[in-house]
Amino acid sequence: MTYDDILKLLNGTVCHRNAGWGQEKVRTFVAGDLMSDILTLEEDHMVLVTSLSTDQTIRTADFVGAKAVILVNGKKPTDSLLALASSSDIAVLTTEMRMFDVCRVLGNSLPS
Amino acid sequence: VGVTLPLSADNTPSFVTELLYRLKVRDVMTRDLITAHKSDTLRAVQDIMKTSTITGVPVAEGKRMLGIISMDDIIRALDEGRMHETAEVAMTRNVIVLEDDMPLAFALSYMEKYRFGRFPVLSTDGELVGIITSRDIIVHLILAMNQEMETLEEKLRIPQEAWAVSHPGSIHQEFATRRFDFENAGKPSAEIKRLCKENNLDPKLIRRIAVASYELEMNQVIHSLGGSIIFALDHETAQVIARDTGPGIPDIEAALSEGFSTANEWVRTLGFGAGMGLPNTKRVADEFSIQSTQGIGTTVHCTFKIKPV
Repeated sequence: MTYDDILKLLNGTVCHRNAGWGQEKVRTFVAGDLMSDILTLEEDHMVLVTSLSTDQTIRTADFVGAKAVILVNGKKPTDSLLALASSSDIAVLTTEMRMFDVCRVLGNSLPS
Repeated sequence: VGVTLPLSADNTPSFVTELLYRLKVRDVMTRDLITAHKSDTLRAVQDIMKTSTITGVPVAEGKRMLGIISMDDIIRALDEGRMHETAEVAMTRNVIVLEDDMPLAFALSYMEKYRFGRFPVLSTDGELVGIITSRDIIVHLILAMNQEMETLEEKLRIPQEAWAVSHPGSIHQEFATRRFDFENAGKPSAEIKRLCKENNLDPKLIRRIAVASYELEMNQVIHSLGGSIIFALDHETAQVIARDTGPGIPDIEAALSEGFSTANEWVRTLGFGAGMGLPNTKRVADEFSIQSTQGIGTTVHCTFKIKPV
């Protein structure tokens, strides 16, 4: 799945493209609003799905090596979040869809 | 003059000893002298003591000291009904004095030896120039020690260049954290991650180090009164040390168990405070230790082994 595929599925908007946009394939998603929970994961190259829209969202993504963040529930990124995303090379996508629906749609689209 | 300090030279930090010899009596003494005239009555001298809240009054004529009247002299005179006597008659003439260019160590040993609360200070020409009390000494020592501490702390803050010179190929950096400063939280960890990358550490190891330092940082921002994150890297280990200034953890065992949290609701809305911080940190580190004293602070020490590439 590419980031463009995700945008289509979630009827989303792109706020920041990372350097790997267009080439990177996404196989793992993690969803959660507790950054400590996210930090316990050991998957590589994941995309973080969250409704937490703070600088700490990007920090967390950066520290666990996530390449993209999907902000759900219509959350809008702040300027400082985007600046941080840019310096950490993390893509930021937003969608109006709720967390559960986002997970359902993405889950159904992943190869089983 | 033989000097006996109420300190053991062996156990006293060299700085304190050095300070006691560097400071001179003139640096510490009170110059605003309150003196009595030889014709003043003891009643008048008692009034001087009362209004100036002092316990000893030198009797002087110009800059020449004639003697001293202490509170003890006044009490004895009251007892014996001699309050009408003049200072000249009642004063102690054989006064133990200090000279203004003597080191403070002399003043301290005099205090120990004679048990007087104060000593008049004479210049080398024998003129009365001041008076020194134990209070003067305490205040100046505290000020001098405080200044020294500031210098030491300043040195600790900028150890980098010196460290780099003495430990080639090593890194030692300290980052300050402040209570509830969520805006800057994560910056130190991002910098630590960058340093790890720059030193070509294994990406999985970098992730573990970053997770530990980030969790410890968030812990300090959320729970502590502020502190610092220290990152040290050499050829064998990477270390993350989190040191804060309080309030300390009442129950470390509970704090180390997953899900235990003392964070409040608004911290949780920021994505933290789920009681995962310390367990997470412990999980990713090769060695983990924590010390906490209530009212003093908490220190967490994480060590990561660097496998030779």
